[in-house]
Amino acid sequence: MGMTLMEADTLQLVNINPSTIIFTLINTLIILLLYRFFLHNPVMKILEERKQKIGSEMKAAEDAQAEAEAVKAEYTQKLQESKEEAAQIVSAAVKRAGERENQIIAEAQQEAADLKKKAEESIELEKKKAINEIKDQISDIVIMASEKVIEKEISKSDNEALINSFIANVGNE
Amino acid sequence: MIQSAAKLMADFTIEGPLRSIPLPFLNDLLGEENACIAESVVSQWIIMVVLGVLFFVLGRNLKVKPESKRQVIAEWIVSFFDDSVETSMGQHYRRNYAPYIGALFCFCILSCLMGLFGLRNPTADVSVTGTWGLITFALVLFTKIRTGGVKGYLHSFIEPLPFMLPFNIIGDFANPISQAMRLFGNNLSGMVIGGLIYFALGNLAIAVPAVLSLYFDLFSAVIQSYIFCTLTMSYVAMADMSSD
Repeated sequence: MGMTLMEADTLQLVNINPSTIIFTLINTLIILLLYRFFLHNPVMKILEERKQKIGSEMKAAEDAQAEAEAVKAEYTQKLQESKEEAAQIVSAAVKRAGERENQIIAEAQQEAADLKKKAEESIELEKKKAINEIKDQISDIVIMASEKVIEKEISKSDNEALINSFIANVGNE
Repeated sequence: MIQSAAKLMADFTIEGPLRSIPLPFLNDLLGEENACIAESVVSQWIIMVVLGVLFFVLGRNLKVKPESKRQVIAEWIVSFFDDSVETSMGQHYRRNYAPYIGALFCFCILSCLMGLFGLRNPTADVSVTGTWGLITFALVLFTKIRTGGVKGYLHSFIEPLPFMLPFNIIGDFANPISQAMRLFGNNLSGMVIGGLIYFALGNLAIAVPAVLSLYFDLFSAVIQSYIFCTLTMSYVAMADMSSD
């Protein structure tokens, strides 16, 4: 037993064997099917699924980011607006307060002026009253004194002229 | 000297542990004297079982989010062939040819590596590599007719000039034959050299055959399988006569 290199034919080194060709063809086909259905197709399916998933997730992420940016812009705008509004409110309040202040001061000044005027008037009035009273009293006193001092020769008309000049002098002091 | 060498060689054998299975009832049908299932076919069956189990284990229970090294390996293998086919053949060949190239490469490389397990390499049988060459020939023919029509195919024989006809005819056959012979020759020579070294070293065959086997079996197997698949792809791609 024992095939040798010398008997190359029996080793089927270079001779074409039709049954081997047919079997090889069949075997290659079977391996192709095995590869295709056990390995190639499942892997391609999973790669495709992964591609889809990554694509959709990236899209979702992009959408979320865009949304977040929109919201951020909106908030920034709102914040800006409220800042402006607050500034407006404050400045309006300051302005109003200033106006009110001026008004209050003006009113107070007016009131003070009124009071002063009234006081001055009443003082003037009192002064006049007092002067008149004094005048009356003095004239009475003078008349009484004069009557007593100079009862005899002074006529009524001379008397009055004398008294009036005296009184006028009194009022001027 | 030559006679003594021949006498020495008479005891030399490279037969593997597997036997051919004779099929006497096919003798008449195939017109052969010794119709049989060759040793290389029996080797192929072993490879088929191994590949079937391997593909099944690799390809099952895949997740969109990979959780196992097994899946990473499976994806790497499939993507590798997919990308190779797309690169050398183009986008529209990818779908149909990626599985064939992948299957062919796996089959081919295991066939080349059978020698490592002391079995007969199916690729060291010219009938096996010849069959794959035949498939390439058929694919080239199919592609030419599909893209150029029968008329275009026939016309391609007298291009660019009519006197090129014989060379074109030879070229059509030479490509798959040379492809098949390259693989066959490399494997056969590796196998014969390996057998001779084992035979020559006798009981001293310890480290040396392992180192040589690294080249003749592993390196050569990968390179030759890759070349075979690359050639198949480029022959089919070149056969595309559509002018895109």
